[in-house]
Amino acid sequence: MNRLWQDLRYALRQLRKSPGFTLTAVITLALGIGANTAIFTLVHAIMLRSLPVANPAQLYRIGDTGQCCVDGGFPEDASTTGDFSIFSTDLYIYLKNSAPEFEELAAAQAGQWAWSVRRSNNLPKHLRGEIVTGNYFSTFGVSSYAGRVFQNSDDTPSASPTVVLAYNAWQGEYNADPSIVGSTIYIQARPFTVIGIAPPGFFGDRITDNAPDFWIPVNTEPYVRGDSSILHHQESHWLYPIGRVRQGTDIAALQAKLSGALRQWILSRPQMISNGGNLLVPKMHVVLTPAGGGIQNLQQETGKGLNLLMILSSVVLLIACANIANLLLARATSNRSAIALRMALGAGRYRVIAQTLTESVLLACIGGLAGLGVAFLGSRTILALAFPDAQNLAIDPNPSLPILGFTFLVSLATGILFGVGPALLSSHAQPAEALRGMARGDGAHRDRISFSQKSLVVFQAALSVVLLAAAILTTESLAKKEHQDFGIVTTNRYVLHFDPAGAGYTADRLPALYRSMQDRFSALPGVTSFSLSMYSPLEGDNWGECVIQQGHGAPTHNMPCGSTWDRVSTHFLESIGVPIIRGRNFTEQDTAATPLVAIVNQAFVKRFYPNQDPIGQHFGIDKPQYSGSFEIVGVFKDFKINNPSRDVRPVFLRSLSQTYTGYKEPEMISTETQSMMMNAMIIGFNSPQQDVESLIRHTLAGIDPNLTVNDLRTFQAQVSGNFNQDRLVARLSSLFGVLALILASVGLYGVMSYFVVRRRGEIGVRMALGATRSSVVGMVMRGAMWQILIGLLLGIPASLYAGYLMKVLLWGVDSYDPLAIAGAPLMLIICAAAAGFIPARRAASIEPMQALRTE
Amino acid sequence: MIELKNIERSYKAGHTETWVLRRVGLTIREGEFVTIMGPSGAGKSSLLNVLALLDDGWLGEYWFSNTPVHSYSRKQRADLARQRIGMVFQSYHLLDDLTVAENIDLPLSYKNLPSKERQGMVADILDRFQIVAKKDLFPSQLSGGQQQLVGIARAVVHAPDLLLADEPTGNLHSTQAREIMELFRQLNKAGTTIVQVTHSEENARYGRRIVELRDGWITRDEVLDADPAEVGSK
Repeated sequence: MNRLWQDLRYALRQLRKSPGFTLTAVITLALGIGANTAIFTLVHAIMLRSLPVANPAQLYRIGDTGQCCVDGGFPEDASTTGDFSIFSTDLYIYLKNSAPEFEELAAAQAGQWAWSVRRSNNLPKHLRGEIVTGNYFSTFGVSSYAGRVFQNSDDTPSASPTVVLAYNAWQGEYNADPSIVGSTIYIQARPFTVIGIAPPGFFGDRITDNAPDFWIPVNTEPYVRGDSSILHHQESHWLYPIGRVRQGTDIAALQAKLSGALRQWILSRPQMISNGGNLLVPKMHVVLTPAGGGIQNLQQETGKGLNLLMILSSVVLLIACANIANLLLARATSNRSAIALRMALGAGRYRVIAQTLTESVLLACIGGLAGLGVAFLGSRTILALAFPDAQNLAIDPNPSLPILGFTFLVSLATGILFGVGPALLSSHAQPAEALRGMARGDGAHRDRISFSQKSLVVFQAALSVVLLAAAILTTESLAKKEHQDFGIVTTNRYVLHFDPAGAGYTADRLPALYRSMQDRFSALPGVTSFSLSMYSPLEGDNWGECVIQQGHGAPTHNMPCGSTWDRVSTHFLESIGVPIIRGRNFTEQDTAATPLVAIVNQAFVKRFYPNQDPIGQHFGIDKPQYSGSFEIVGVFKDFKINNPSRDVRPVFLRSLSQTYTGYKEPEMISTETQSMMMNAMIIGFNSPQQDVESLIRHTLAGIDPNLTVNDLRTFQAQVSGNFNQDRLVARLSSLFGVLALILASVGLYGVMSYFVVRRRGEIGVRMALGATRSSVVGMVMRGAMWQILIGLLLGIPASLYAGYLMKVLLWGVDSYDPLAIAGAPLMLIICAAAAGFIPARRAASIEPMQALRTE
Repeated sequence: MIELKNIERSYKAGHTETWVLRRVGLTIREGEFVTIMGPSGAGKSSLLNVLALLDDGWLGEYWFSNTPVHSYSRKQRADLARQRIGMVFQSYHLLDDLTVAENIDLPLSYKNLPSKERQGMVADILDRFQIVAKKDLFPSQLSGGQQQLVGIARAVVHAPDLLLADEPTGNLHSTQAREIMELFRQLNKAGTTIVQVTHSEENARYGRRIVELRDGWITRDEVLDADPAEVGSK
């Protein structure tokens, strides 16, 4: 212990003695360790951390994919995987009753909706709510912060409507007013009693960027959603079951049992087993997944990106280690006489290694401490980049005990990694050297050091190429995504989201509201286009139905019949800049009294009417008896409406003025009713607007003060928001690439500077023998570039392999992209040339006379 | 061949200026073998560095074969030195990583000569100095005398008009020293102008003229009568 203390004191003194070296090393380490800690903070918060609930290891979810939000019948890829991950209320209850192995099995809504919430006569707020079963909180073992949480008795058809507020919402939205417990708030204009407040830190059943502000029981869903309710739709899947299994339960057996129960339930549904559906039943199954970390939607979305970033940041740290090792090697040479003296005075080899390693580890720990600061800022920046629209982020970026432990371990490992080589080389000092008074060590030692340093530069160069190639690939992929032809025009256009249902509007009052909106907004100065729709392009929403052409029977389950659809006002296409290429657009003459019409995109025609004239054709949805519902009157040009990374799906648009009244099934009636609720408004101006937000808010409030602006942004920003994750990965990859480039260049600079100092005499001799300055520059540059070239020889194949591994994260870019393959080495060569040129110039300015005299 | 007029050289250290050469005037004719002598700090090496064009910080006039070196740019001086001057060092200054042949080739490599021509020149000099057998050895595998032999071979491989030697036998024992000095004598007889710096009276007698420096001033410039051949045979 005494020896360790002595070594520590000596190490501290050594570091103090060389402030330049210490500062360079600490900054390098802080960047390397900080980058890793920042990424790990997110990995820990998103991927590794358990929910703040009792015994999280006991929690299991039935299902394994992030399917959202309401699904009908079989899962979309039923014919290939048969994997059920989202369940109707009826199916959830069936599974619950089939599996007593669960102490409790709760369910939570797969999607989360934003609702209009008002307290007394205050203006309504736009809050996110989640519908959960009455045993939700008891399943998690979470009690209330104030009041109480749900009991099963709160979740019955006859129970009075209750709500539990999230702690953050209570603090932020209601100023932590304790009197809110027991009071009434209005959700979608329906009164609910606040029965309690959830504890702080509990964000619900999943890590998300928009955690719920409140929870309401499943049985209040019809109460709050009216005709749009799906609670009793037996084949509308919308719940994630999550439960606590009994101790000792065989999970594999339980999974098999639940899969069997699922198949039994499907077989009891005539609608599902008709038209070949029965053939799919044997494939149907569920997967039980550990849910201690919650529903893994965000993890599945961000996991690949985070893993990539973790790998890239580790590579940066490796490069940083190589840099410090290089600095230490140079120091080892200058400290050699001191070490030789120590050995002459009796220090053993291990003692010398321990002393040198102590210094390295101390340095790494100081770097780690500074890295915590970098990580603190870095993780916040990353979160802001990754989730710019987050309103209630369930991710805590503050350093916790595991983060501190991680940082300490990384620092320790880093210190040993970069310290062990120089320590071993130092320990080769010969005591006789000290007696001879050698200052610079023998040639063999210098050769060893020089070889080690060059090897480290080669290693750095190789890794830098990989990082730079990764940066180019992700940046290119992002640029390809962002600059693709979406088929829409976003210039000077704004998208406003609002919620007429939340403001208490019922179907009969909607036409007047829409007319008023059309009149008031169209009359604003500079407005060139205005439209209403259920949802706008690329906002993340999607409504899908199975299309049945007139005269065709019901499609079998493996026939692709899916089409996206949207209900829109007359001038929707103009407002998004999409042209009609055949037939006509909707007109004011399309009314409730005229035949129901639809316009379709080119992909729709390609799938359902190949080699036919689609104009005048009829189709319907879901059932053959409705296949004559709509007449196609126009074809519009393809545009991206939902996923910008996928090919354009078939899309049909229906007119806001027309409702189909022939449906018999409650599910279809409810969908038709719900589709009359417009939620998006697109307003186009003739030029950029200065204060458009207040203009739009003011106009909306003028129509009805109860209508709240749920979201208002430029159309361009909405489109751009689709690429937040890609942007994060691209920016951080670029940052790491640049960092790697800087570190590698600094490393090369250090090695070449050392080379010049070490060979000062030689350079002097060469110059005395006639070497010109340019030939000396050339000699040093050749030495530098050789190392880089060997690095490239190793790095280019490695970057090709990295590109192959990154394939899943790339869009529109080949893994073997020529720009990345050529660009990364080129950037490295340019930076290396600059880094090598400085010592080369210094070498060329050596005065031979001086050098020879020193020699 | 060389005419120095009022050459002065000083070094500044802080507020003090130390003069190492004071108003040096010296004429060296072609084919001469000049020895510069003097106590330590007299300015011998400084004068040699001026002659070798390794030093730019002097004042005065330096004429090399009627060429005004003093008005030359640094690059022009380097070119002149590369073409016409050879240099032998006390501590040989052979490059450890290069073989004997590569060390000798070094000055040629800076003259942009074709590789074949260079190889021929190196082979000639190896043969002339009888070190062909050593051509692939590294400096560390040679004795001090052999290393200096290589150093001289390197200095004369490009047939310089002027050969400058700074204590060429300073690190050698007497037998080796005599061999080296004999070699200088032969080179001089073959027409090479030689200027050597030495402390050794014996080595000085291989030359025909002694220039002595003290505190930067030339205090003696004497032509010797003795036949160098006699010196060598003593």
